[in-house]
Amino acid sequence: MDHFLEKIPGFLSVIEGCRDTMITNIVLIGEKAAPTFKEGERVKTFVNRLITSGVDECTFDSIQNPIGIIRGKGEKPPILLVAHLDTFVDQIEDFNYTIKKNMISGPGVSDNSVGVGTLASLPQLLRKLNLQFESDILLAGVIQSIGKGNLRGIRHLLKSWSDPVRGAVCIEGVELGRLNYFSEGMIRAEIDCISSLKGEFDRYNHPNAILVINEVINRMLEIRLPKKPRSKVVIGRVSGGVNHGKNAETANIGFEIRSDSDEIVKEIYRDVEDIIENFRHIYHVDLNIKTISNLNAAHLRFNHPLVKSSYRVIRALGLEPVVRSSESELSILLSHQIPAVTLGMTHSAKTDPESNVEIKPLFKGIAQLVGVLMAIDQGVCDEP
Amino acid sequence: MNHDWLANNTFHHSDFVDLSQLLARKREQNLTISLCLPTLNEEKTIAKEIVIMKSELMTRYPLLDEIIVIDSGSEDKTVEVAKYYGARVYYSDQILPGLKRFRGKGENLWKALYITEGDIIIYLDTDIKNIHHRFAYALLGPLLLYERIKFCKAFYDRPLSEGKALRPTGGGRVTELLIRPLFSLFFPELTQIMQPLSGEYAGYREIFEKLSFPIGYGIETSMLLDIFTGWGLDVIAQVDLDRRVHRNQSTKALGKMAFAILHRFINRVTKYGMIDAKTALFKEMIQYNQLNNEYQLDIFEFDETERPPMIDIPEYRRKFDYPENGTAGDVRE
Repeated sequence: MDHFLEKIPGFLSVIEGCRDTMITNIVLIGEKAAPTFKEGERVKTFVNRLITSGVDECTFDSIQNPIGIIRGKGEKPPILLVAHLDTFVDQIEDFNYTIKKNMISGPGVSDNSVGVGTLASLPQLLRKLNLQFESDILLAGVIQSIGKGNLRGIRHLLKSWSDPVRGAVCIEGVELGRLNYFSEGMIRAEIDCISSLKGEFDRYNHPNAILVINEVINRMLEIRLPKKPRSKVVIGRVSGGVNHGKNAETANIGFEIRSDSDEIVKEIYRDVEDIIENFRHIYHVDLNIKTISNLNAAHLRFNHPLVKSSYRVIRALGLEPVVRSSESELSILLSHQIPAVTLGMTHSAKTDPESNVEIKPLFKGIAQLVGVLMAIDQGVCDEP
Repeated sequence: MNHDWLANNTFHHSDFVDLSQLLARKREQNLTISLCLPTLNEEKTIAKEIVIMKSELMTRYPLLDEIIVIDSGSEDKTVEVAKYYGARVYYSDQILPGLKRFRGKGENLWKALYITEGDIIIYLDTDIKNIHHRFAYALLGPLLLYERIKFCKAFYDRPLSEGKALRPTGGGRVTELLIRPLFSLFFPELTQIMQPLSGEYAGYREIFEKLSFPIGYGIETSMLLDIFTGWGLDVIAQVDLDRRVHRNQSTKALGKMAFAILHRFINRVTKYGMIDAKTALFKEMIQYNQLNNEYQLDIFEFDETERPPMIDIPEYRRKFDYPENGTAGDVRE
């Protein structure tokens, strides 16, 4: 193990030498609008950049997840690298990124243009580093991942990929130093309240939807949450009404229930359903809950060789690993018994972190990814 | 009027997407190619232009032999950023220091002929927000693949029908309100050029070095007219780059541009003997601003200075091994 750890800091100068290509890939892919379910143009550009980068083969699964393949020299199962292609930016028109001395700016650059651009740059980078692996490396840009996509892309990819996968790394744009190897159980849901023209109420007397939603929130905050398994309810989004002087006819909240235990997540969700049912009758409003996405809790043990190796690689680059849970592709990989971690590639800028990333830390981010790739290729995921 | 030109000499960037083919043609013909980027306060866009061109057209496919930036005295970080990303940067004033100094895009393009080494020179504006390497390789395509073509100009919308709907030709306001009417009056064949004012073009040095360059506005118009009258329409091509996003200029700024272009145009048609102007033209464009209910004069003075063909400059002749005492006329084919 240690002999390749020593090599990793030496990768930095070679990776820095590919700076222009990496930036170009991030920009050209990132400028293609890709809201969830409309990733087509970004898929085309990603594949085009993989081919330009000299990938050995490109293929698609049946829902058009694009996959590049770097052929290995051995017989071992492949290593899967994953970055989601879709972005939270709703815009359908392409956007324009800008480059400054140490920064790339543009919508969705941190989540996840940097991740996808890194994936597209790898064939060339690995050649420049003169590295060849025993395993094939699968470079998967997955579609329909975030929000209502509910990780459909990775779910489908793993369902349709019948052969074993040796190990996997999920690539996220930020933050460099993150090391995720467990996922909490999670249900993401929305509650909609529509109070207009119900029954005998006229438009001036119908219940105010915002106040109804407020009641729901207050009751949700009264739900008792266990400290062990760790559990929480996060109310992350609220909207409602039209203008200052008019009773709100509609209101909506978005929230997540998270826990180390899938059973607790389901229990809390049932409690919220009961609250909804209760207020629906009290206020005579359309009050409904709908699930946007859900994940099962999954984890690698903290002393799994992949986790320990990833720690060492990150530290070899002078970084301190930051461990948190991650509710993303990682969860699906782990629930398929594929040893996997999530790594971040660079830092977001302090101002407008969603739309600005630093360039220089990216070199360490990629060196770290290559180091973990080498660890997997040397067998840290091979033990049962 | 030669109507075949539009069909024969109009291309789409996708026609030249095979960069290995372009590279092979470049090598077969033993050509060198320079990319010139004239700048004035372009810190927001210059880095992306350099990074993408270097990555795709120098590292991956070495079509470009050099990228140079010629700056007119930017007050922002244009020069610092351009150097950081590896372009060779020159201050316009420091090129050919023995000559009188002027400011303007045309001046930069003219001086680029002295600084660059390439047999082909690509000029790209540096305010393009959606820059892509097609902006350069698509301009090179016709020059490398068709022997007859010596100058290639960009346009950004397809001129032809798309299904049943007709798309506009995509010319800007000055093109549609000034240039196209003028071309229709004096040079109908040139109306086939969709965007005569586009700032993206490429051509062989052997042509550029024989043209005189207006130092400011009007360089694109006079260049097109001089190539057309000197070499004919068939050496010119145009290529569709699909879409270009750039800063939008105010109508007032376009008014100044239109004034200068009109000046150049009249100058050219007079020189060609097509009209006989009985009086000299005024050089001031007069506009008004309203401030606190008062009208204030806003006068733009047009500088009609033109640089002579570069081939007439002794320093240039020495650098490129021309006989000491020749002129443009001596080497024109």
